[in-house]
Amino acid sequence: MEFAELIRTGQAQAELLRGPEEPPLRGTLCITGHHLMLSPGPQATPDLWLLLLRNVDSIEKRVAGDSGTITLRCKDLRVLQLDIEGVEATLDIARSIEALSSLESVITSFPFFYRPKGLRLGDAWHFHPPECYYKRVARETNAWRLSEANEDFSLCPSYPRAVIVPRAVDDSALARSARFRQGGRFPVLSYYHAPSGTVLLRAGQPLTGPQKRRCSEDEDLLRAVLAGARPGARGFIVDTRSPQAAKQARMTGGGTEAKAAYPGWKRLHRPLETGRPLQESFVRLVEACGDLEQSMDRWLNRLESCRWLSHVKETLSTACLAAQSMEQEGACVLVHGAEGTDSTLLITSLAQLILDPLSRTMAGFQELIEREWIQAGHPFQLRCAHSAFSHARPKHEAPTFLLFLDCVWQLGRQFPLSLEFGEGMLLALFDHAYASPFGTFLCNNEKERCLCEVRTRTHSLWSGLSQPKEQRKLRNPLYVPNPLAIWPSAEPQSLRLWQGDPPPPPWRSSRLCSASLPVLFLLRPVSARDPST
Amino acid sequence: MASAPTSKYNSHSLENESIKRTSRDGVNRDVGEPLPRLPGEIRITDKEVIYICPFNGPIKGRVYITNYRLYLRSLETDSALILDVPLGVISRIEKMGGATSRGENSYGLDITCKDLRNLRFALKQEGHSRRDMFEILTRYAFPLAHSLPIFAFLNEEKFNVDGWTVYNPVEEYRRQGLPNHHWRITFINKCYKLCDTYPALLVVPYRASDEDLRRVATFRSRNRIPATGGGYESDDVYHNAELFFLDIHNIHVMRESLKKVKDIVYPNVEESHWLSSLESTHWLEHIKLVLTGAIQVADKVSSGKSSVVVHCSDGWDRTAQLTSLAMLMLDSFYRSIEGFEILVQKEWISFGHKFASRIGHGDKNHADADRSPIFLQFIDCVWQMSKQFPTAFEFNERFLITILDHLYSCRFGTFLYNCESAREKQKVTERTVSLWSLINSNKDKFKNPFYTKEINRVLYPVASMRHLELWVNYYIRWNPRIKQQQPNPVEQRYMELLALRDEYIKRLDELQLANSAKLSDPSASPSSPSQMMPHVQTHF
Repeated sequence: MEFAELIRTGQAQAELLRGPEEPPLRGTLCITGHHLMLSPGPQATPDLWLLLLRNVDSIEKRVAGDSGTITLRCKDLRVLQLDIEGVEATLDIARSIEALSSLESVITSFPFFYRPKGLRLGDAWHFHPPECYYKRVARETNAWRLSEANEDFSLCPSYPRAVIVPRAVDDSALARSARFRQGGRFPVLSYYHAPSGTVLLRAGQPLTGPQKRRCSEDEDLLRAVLAGARPGARGFIVDTRSPQAAKQARMTGGGTEAKAAYPGWKRLHRPLETGRPLQESFVRLVEACGDLEQSMDRWLNRLESCRWLSHVKETLSTACLAAQSMEQEGACVLVHGAEGTDSTLLITSLAQLILDPLSRTMAGFQELIEREWIQAGHPFQLRCAHSAFSHARPKHEAPTFLLFLDCVWQLGRQFPLSLEFGEGMLLALFDHAYASPFGTFLCNNEKERCLCEVRTRTHSLWSGLSQPKEQRKLRNPLYVPNPLAIWPSAEPQSLRLWQGDPPPPPWRSSRLCSASLPVLFLLRPVSARDPST
Repeated sequence: MASAPTSKYNSHSLENESIKRTSRDGVNRDVGEPLPRLPGEIRITDKEVIYICPFNGPIKGRVYITNYRLYLRSLETDSALILDVPLGVISRIEKMGGATSRGENSYGLDITCKDLRNLRFALKQEGHSRRDMFEILTRYAFPLAHSLPIFAFLNEEKFNVDGWTVYNPVEEYRRQGLPNHHWRITFINKCYKLCDTYPALLVVPYRASDEDLRRVATFRSRNRIPATGGGYESDDVYHNAELFFLDIHNIHVMRESLKKVKDIVYPNVEESHWLSSLESTHWLEHIKLVLTGAIQVADKVSSGKSSVVVHCSDGWDRTAQLTSLAMLMLDSFYRSIEGFEILVQKEWISFGHKFASRIGHGDKNHADADRSPIFLQFIDCVWQMSKQFPTAFEFNERFLITILDHLYSCRFGTFLYNCESAREKQKVTERTVSLWSLINSNKDKFKNPFYTKEINRVLYPVASMRHLELWVNYYIRWNPRIKQQQPNPVEQRYMELLALRDEYIKRLDELQLANSAKLSDPSASPSSPSQMMPHVQTHF
């Protein structure tokens, strides 16, 4: 398909409004296959303003007289307004944006065309290979091994080629366990906590079904986990569904581990909402934050009824529970919900940030995201197809990853010196997860990324972020390595609404000086964050 | 700044820490010494009790009572708990249980404090064991009812600076450019005859004669004539006067609102519906209204060339809040430590905010309808401003909390009595120590390292519920789960980085010096890397 067919206009004169804090930009507007461009002329700064069309979440057009207005609500939660000369031009531009921003094909997306100066293709794809981590764990523990049973993605389409499993379990047993778990997601190691010698595992739900089926290889696998830890070690299965929901799942072929079948393992239920309810919470929050007209009197009630902060609270306290079980109880922990690709990853990745000082470094955090989100098969393409503004009926969208970033932000607020990266890093990750010139967050899992040749045909976000000029924006200047676990408080009094726009560093004079400041969360001004500019 | 709350998983040890933090008053404490004592402080009694800690349950301890404080030290080996409470914070002492009460720890005393906490002690039931503790506490916590002096008059502390000299009205008016051809200084109220709740020295319009003032005084409530707070360039007040009303509720509403705040934070923090419960206390909404009012006042003063007359029914509650906040917004001088002390001294103490009635120093009538947290509300507004403008204030959060603690403690004379004439009568400045002596002799502790002095910068805070937050480090500080880190880690780290920067700059200077010496020496190599040096800049 040719993009040209979808571009219905040449160019038009327009004025761009980017929020209360930035001056309007006037210039020539035009559309390319992937971008909306505004050129204010060579003397202006910046001399070119770019918006990735994939970033557009919803578009609204209005015409009056001989001009029109287009309001673009972006996936990164910016709201932009374009005042365009000419009714026809306005309608053409709106139609072009609509068509181009809703293209679903991965291999025609911008990352496959993005060739920035100074970066070489394939450079950073080996930045954070999880195999390195897995090999290290295998070496340190002697109880775990790297398995390539999933080399062709036949055991589990959402796992990477290499996974780490108990040494005592062979590949054929893995295949059987995979058949017993949803999506083929058999229990694999997520994190080895050296100080207590315990491990964190993740999986999909067991497919016990109404007949309460069992799978001896799956049981052996979990037995081997405890045996590998230390004699008499215990385990906790953190199920991210309520006991009722877990029971109900049996009717549709799922279920949860029967107590008798897994001696030494104890099940704990910590219900976390995912999917539709989480997306709705996100939409309500964005709506509330954007509603500047609304009388402020009932703001706290409204904020509470969005339930976003309760999601943050539940997530953090469940992550604390998992981490505490390992560090203080000396137990192994297996986390799963239903698919094991959403709330499961939230908990395993946050528990690592709490326990592991390495994951709080710049490189360690990127490695964590690569290993626990991207390679672990969080379906980014489905979850981040739309953000909070889209009018399209949500199908698989859910801001699970944003919830993770929010929890990390809360950690950073409570431990302002302990994370090497700052809020800029979290904002960048949020932006790139929804729309990015880089290939890192494309597709839903490794299998799809292999089919699309993402690694050889697109640039990695990690190489983009490693540029010195980017690094300055991403680092926490106050960082001091902290060798201890950082236990966050999940009390509601300790949590704050993540207001997005990074506050000015205290040593620079405060922007808050102007009387009109507000800048809540969601109306953040355009910044030069788009690395394609 | 950053409250770093901690996990529930190790709350026990934190409880001890958080309670130990009550020793924030600069008293030197020797570990071997069982009881800290101020000069002039006398030990009255001690007793073995069970302290019923709302967070960790009953703890056996020995309580010491002096004429200034109640001090409790744990007698249990696994607990280092210490309570150190000035008797001035006590608002009410109640007996709980009777001689025949059953149940463990059901007999004892329940002490309600003005700083949003309760202390409960259980005693042995036999022999009316709580009677003398009750009587002694009542006697020394409420000295007014027993014809005893307030502790501030017994305190013999010596400081190397005298806080009473911080505020000198003539000097302060001179700083503001007063008197000038619009305003003059008058001593008409020298013996507090014109208005007993006003200070002796007043600034009034130039053209208003003392005779005029006497006539005006009879017309205003309690003879409070209009006088300048922050004097600003202006035309005659009486022409083109514009009235605007700020919809702020009365002192009783404020008192009830604070009570509701206590209900949701002490001893247990409301969890399931925290935000809506917080909203239903209306505390933040009142803060919002006060700030909104102050912004309007400041805006009127700074935008037009108009003066503003601020008044409420009596002119000593809302008025003080609005004028002092507006002055804080307009005049950067008041954002320094000394400036803020002068502001409090002038707009609150000197102009007759009724501290004695609102706080009830040494008074046992805990239900007195005159009590109201007006000054606390002002300090909360200041804290909200300091959150929104982290670089604009010379003082830190600890400074504000220290002021609030000594608002109640009765260790200093600063907040005693209702007006200047009463203070003069009691010779407060001669017979008591000023709180500013304590603070100014140890200023570093109260400094905000992010402070950047900016003359003439006007601050308008955002008074919207979206930008106001509950001051957790103050209102929930007794809860061990909300741990306040002292010193603040961000402030501390920032100081370290500043020191590091200074060191690098020094080394850079030395290198440049050495290098230029080398360059002027013809034998030195010409290819030295000196070109890179002069352009190094730091990013702070």
